[in-house]
Amino acid sequence: MLYYLQDVIDGVLMGSIYGLLALGLTLIFGVLKVINFAHGSFLMLGMYVAYWTVSLTGLHPYLSLILVVPAMFLFGYGFQKALVQPIFKAESDVREPITVIIVTTGVWYILDNLALLLFGPDYRALTPNPLKGKMLELGEIFISLPKLYGCISALVTAGALTWFLRATRTGRAIRAVSLDREAASLMGISQWRIFAVAMGIGTSIAGISGVALTPFYNVYPTVGVPFDVKCFVIVVLGGLGSIPGAMLGGVIIGLVESLGPVFMTATWTEAIVYGLFLLFLFVKPSGLFGVKYDW
Amino acid sequence: MTPSRFKKILLILAVVLAFGLPLVLRSPTYLHILIMLFLFAYMTTTWNLVGGFAGVLPLGHSVFVGIGAYTSTMLWLQWGISPWIGMIVGGLIAAAVGTLIGLPTLKMRGAYFALATMAFVEGIRVMVENIDKLGPFVLNGPRGLNIPPLPEGSLAAFQFASKEPYYYIILIMLLLVVGLTWRISRSKMGYLLMAGGEEPDAAQALGVNVTRYKVMAMALSSFLTALAGTFIAQLTLFIYPKSVLTLDLSFELAFIALIGGRGSIAGPILGALLLRPVSEFSRIYLSATLPGLHLIILGAILILVMLYQPRGLQEPITRFFDRLAARFGNGNGGTEEKA
Repeated sequence: MLYYLQDVIDGVLMGSIYGLLALGLTLIFGVLKVINFAHGSFLMLGMYVAYWTVSLTGLHPYLSLILVVPAMFLFGYGFQKALVQPIFKAESDVREPITVIIVTTGVWYILDNLALLLFGPDYRALTPNPLKGKMLELGEIFISLPKLYGCISALVTAGALTWFLRATRTGRAIRAVSLDREAASLMGISQWRIFAVAMGIGTSIAGISGVALTPFYNVYPTVGVPFDVKCFVIVVLGGLGSIPGAMLGGVIIGLVESLGPVFMTATWTEAIVYGLFLLFLFVKPSGLFGVKYDW
Repeated sequence: MTPSRFKKILLILAVVLAFGLPLVLRSPTYLHILIMLFLFAYMTTTWNLVGGFAGVLPLGHSVFVGIGAYTSTMLWLQWGISPWIGMIVGGLIAAAVGTLIGLPTLKMRGAYFALATMAFVEGIRVMVENIDKLGPFVLNGPRGLNIPPLPEGSLAAFQFASKEPYYYIILIMLLLVVGLTWRISRSKMGYLLMAGGEEPDAAQALGVNVTRYKVMAMALSSFLTALAGTFIAQLTLFIYPKSVLTLDLSFELAFIALIGGRGSIAGPILGALLLRPVSEFSRIYLSATLPGLHLIILGAILILVMLYQPRGLQEPITRFFDRLAARFGNGNGGTEEKA
């Protein structure tokens, strides 16, 4: 029983970090109605920024957030303004232009391979890393400290985002645009500004996930790819555009991954993840918390 | 000479050239490059039936390539059934799978369909990698399947000693599928499909069962894509999950179609014609010195085309040919009309 408890805790901790990453994706999707295929690459970017900040200055990994969050926000904001917005304007009659998906895919290819070109294919472990291998001992249960910090960051970020969307003017404008672009524009909200802000926030959330991951996860150019696919699964599972859905979806995937190997070979676990995804797609496509009327 | 006549002559010239090429070009390396080019043009054309006309973004067509490749190979290895028959069986299985994916997802907005097709490939790949034996069939998991080569070749076994037969088979397959696409694009089904792709709500309001036509297109596209899978298996005589069941292949088809121009007949062929050599040569010449540079180039091309030519490169090229045809057709360049 204790054995399972250990796996459950590991799954919940890792799953909440998946959920954190998916939070950014689901926010971008909720507002722009477009899947951002470059989200995993944004994570990779965040991880490299955190890695270089720490290894050049020797700061505590979590202090790199001071640099990562604004840098990633600007990056996402610029990405939206320079590449995505022109397409939205050109194809204003299409609600979810496929061309945008393709542009984000192009950005994914460029970023991942640029990282390969600049930093080489090496797997880099964070140094100096004060969190390395630290464990919290509770009786016979071991809790990985870096993962616990990641889980706390995920909860704090999700809480802050929820508060921001409910309580601030910009947050309310974001929700208005995601519900109805035309009506929001008629109320004097600039949808272009909101799109860029949402993309910026989504990207900086990917950056936060990067900071949470680097203390226990190696950085390499294609690190985003496995997370990318998992993120897609999570947002559909939780309901595209839903914040609690993203967190819960992340925890479910985390639990499947940590408990799966107990009952079957590890490679089959991956198949279970996709199976779960397709099952949801066929049976309840709106996900656990998805809005019904839209899809 | 009228402009349409001029275009027809150009088209016939191109086909004759394609058929005559192996008589001049003896190098198996170049023939292989051409075979791959036609193969990608073929797969992108079948992709285009869904991705172009139905207005959705399939990102998992390699699953049908894999089904085609594995079905014919398993039937040949286990029971000695000719790959030609296996090709059709694989196509039918792929059509059933395509319908199964399409039925629930094509009703929903595009993002779900794109994600579902992606997840399907990944799921099937992981499963195949985990299965060594499926009933009477050997799958060999990640190690894949080898087809024992017959050195003298045999038509019934879909194996040939030289490259030329493969060249002609894929060329004929490509011409047939292009002809079929042309017929469909001018049929009632084609019009309804495009209407449903561009204005689903309006089409629905006019009483078109949009989903039904999309599912039909998906089934047809899956069937035809699977045929290419068998061709790949017979060409390479070795298939494994990471070769025929990958997201990379699925994405490449989408890229070729989008850069060439999806929803048009010339687009996929043009895309393959432009992109295959670029990726082939940049991979050969650049990857040793600067790893990943060819993918950066691909990403940049993709973004630039989407920003400045969202209908694909076929648009300016078609315009160029139209102008050319009009010039010759108006008689100031041609001789026939003056006579």
